[in-house]
Amino acid sequence: MQANTNKAWLGVLPVVLLVAFSAVIPLMTVVNYSVQDIFDVQTRVFVGFDWYRETLRDPRFVDALLRQILFSSLILVIEIPLGIVLARGLPREGRLLPLLLVLLAVPLLIPWNVVGMIWQIFARPDIGLLGAAVNAAGFDYNFTGVVTDAWVTLIAMDVWHWTSLVTLLTFAGLTAIPGACYQAAMLDDASRWQVFWYVEFPRIRSVLVIAVLLRLMDSLMIYTEPFVLTGGGPGNATTFLSQYLTSMAVGQFDVGPAAAFSVLYFLVILLLCWLFYTSVMGSSKGPDPYDEDGL
Amino acid sequence: MARITLNGIQHRYPGAPDATLKGIDLVINDGEAHALLGGSGAGKTTLLNVLSGLSEAFAGEICFDSKVVRFGERRNVAQVFQFPVLYEGLDVRGNLEFALKNAGWKRGARHERVADIAAKLEIADLLNRRPKDLTLFQKQLVAIGKALVRPDIALVLLDEPLTAVAPATKWRLRVMLKRIQRSLGMTMIYVTHDQTEALTFADRISVMDAGAIIQTDTAQALYERPLHEHVGYFIGSPGMSFLNTRVQDNQLWLADTLLGSTDAAPGLYKLGFRPEWARIVPLNDDHDIVLTVERTRIEHSDRGVPFGLMNAVCDGERLHTRQQLNEVGSVTLPAQAALKIDIARCSLYRDGWRVDGLLGGLLDGHAVG
Repeated sequence: MQANTNKAWLGVLPVVLLVAFSAVIPLMTVVNYSVQDIFDVQTRVFVGFDWYRETLRDPRFVDALLRQILFSSLILVIEIPLGIVLARGLPREGRLLPLLLVLLAVPLLIPWNVVGMIWQIFARPDIGLLGAAVNAAGFDYNFTGVVTDAWVTLIAMDVWHWTSLVTLLTFAGLTAIPGACYQAAMLDDASRWQVFWYVEFPRIRSVLVIAVLLRLMDSLMIYTEPFVLTGGGPGNATTFLSQYLTSMAVGQFDVGPAAAFSVLYFLVILLLCWLFYTSVMGSSKGPDPYDEDGL
Repeated sequence: MARITLNGIQHRYPGAPDATLKGIDLVINDGEAHALLGGSGAGKTTLLNVLSGLSEAFAGEICFDSKVVRFGERRNVAQVFQFPVLYEGLDVRGNLEFALKNAGWKRGARHERVADIAAKLEIADLLNRRPKDLTLFQKQLVAIGKALVRPDIALVLLDEPLTAVAPATKWRLRVMLKRIQRSLGMTMIYVTHDQTEALTFADRISVMDAGAIIQTDTAQALYERPLHEHVGYFIGSPGMSFLNTRVQDNQLWLADTLLGSTDAAPGLYKLGFRPEWARIVPLNDDHDIVLTVERTRIEHSDRGVPFGLMNAVCDGERLHTRQQLNEVGSVTLPAQAALKIDIARCSLYRDGWRVDGLLGGLLDGHAVG
């Protein structure tokens, strides 16, 4: 018999190192900064939770957070139903389908700042196709000057960029539904709404959860597109958390407050995603369907 | 409930070279339990889809009682699928009353009907559960309940409903289905590739092959007088055995051995017999049909005497008999032995199809008549 050794722990070491360098150490560095006031390399003072307190009392942070939540809610409310409608409208088979899928995937392949650029030009009130057309139609439209216009443009851009993701995920979920389910509903005289609500929705629920999570996380982190499109303006009307953070950390070199901000930002995203996920997935645990003992 | 008449139903999938249904004629009586039996690709499911209105037949007509039902026209058909198809978001009661709600039933009447069906299926205690909390067996029971719940249903289609159910519980579901079919007097069509399911469930069975119905009959008739070699093979376990024979001057010959008399026209035939209609015995005289016994399988024993299947080769053809196993005498296999056939029960087949004609056996090795 072999003596028990602790050698197996060595096997875990690569993973520990990887996680340490990829996540734990950088994060802890930020946490370290967030509790100190740093004047220069030699001079630093421990300030405890002062930066956190200050950040939470900063009206610009609170405004950016509220704006962020409003933005994420709006794009979810638009993109998820729109994505489902588009996915249900796609043909389930046929020669047209691959072409449509590729077309849908195109916006997803465009880099963020290019998307910002495209819309920046597209929506310009003087020469942009969209901007000029809207103005010519008699609406006074200027996304660089009017807050509502800036928001509408920003949301339109995000919807254009990301609805396809929801559509493709939903479509994948829909194609996995066996034909018999539709057939049974047809024989039950189910209406189109009933078919969606009772046949399709329960079966695409989990892909929808993934779609909402992805869009929620991504929209909470949005930076590049509004940066290129509106630069956060007019005023601070489209300045979201990440933009404010960048201006604080890179523009003003406020390392301590920026670190506290980062930690709070991270916690907000974590909290919102966790809240969503647990509230949706909490009630869907059942027994093993292949367990026949319950007879 | 209704009497269903199919006249010359033909169906072809777009782009397919052959028709999947090649002219189906079938009458299913009101309240009949009917089975469509056949291997995969026989066209069973296609025929089911034509009946349910999912697929369009390009020729032929379907009548529910005396009314011709065209494609796209609604018909009161319910279906049970291979796996339980339920509305996952609704509880069992919600699933059962779904179709009733759509048909405009009042709450009280709905509850009464659901309670009635649930009691028959012994799922009354599950009414408030969700499908995800049920076993596959229970789910399929609910799916059957869903199909039976509307009293105006003219026809219930069952598409291999036992596929998903664990083998140990298949028989329970089958027995329950049969009992309910009887007590409600429902017209049911049961599609399966499993002859045991078909034979135990159905009043009459249609054996399908390559898009056609070869024979529609009771289980007993299918066993005793299969109209086609294919039916002979398909029904029975093991299937029918066939020997190459020849008819000449009203006598039936296997090579040089005279088997019996017949009024069939001269020519080459296959003689088909069931394992119970033949016996293998020790070689006795020159008139014996000689064969080689290769294997035996005990199925049961009676006071120490083993009974079972004999697997033998005669004239290059494999055949089976079911009998007392020590009748052959020899204990080492393979062994030479003789075959005795109850010729009068057998049938002659030509080009696969049964030939009408009387067969007579031999008495003491001599032709009768």
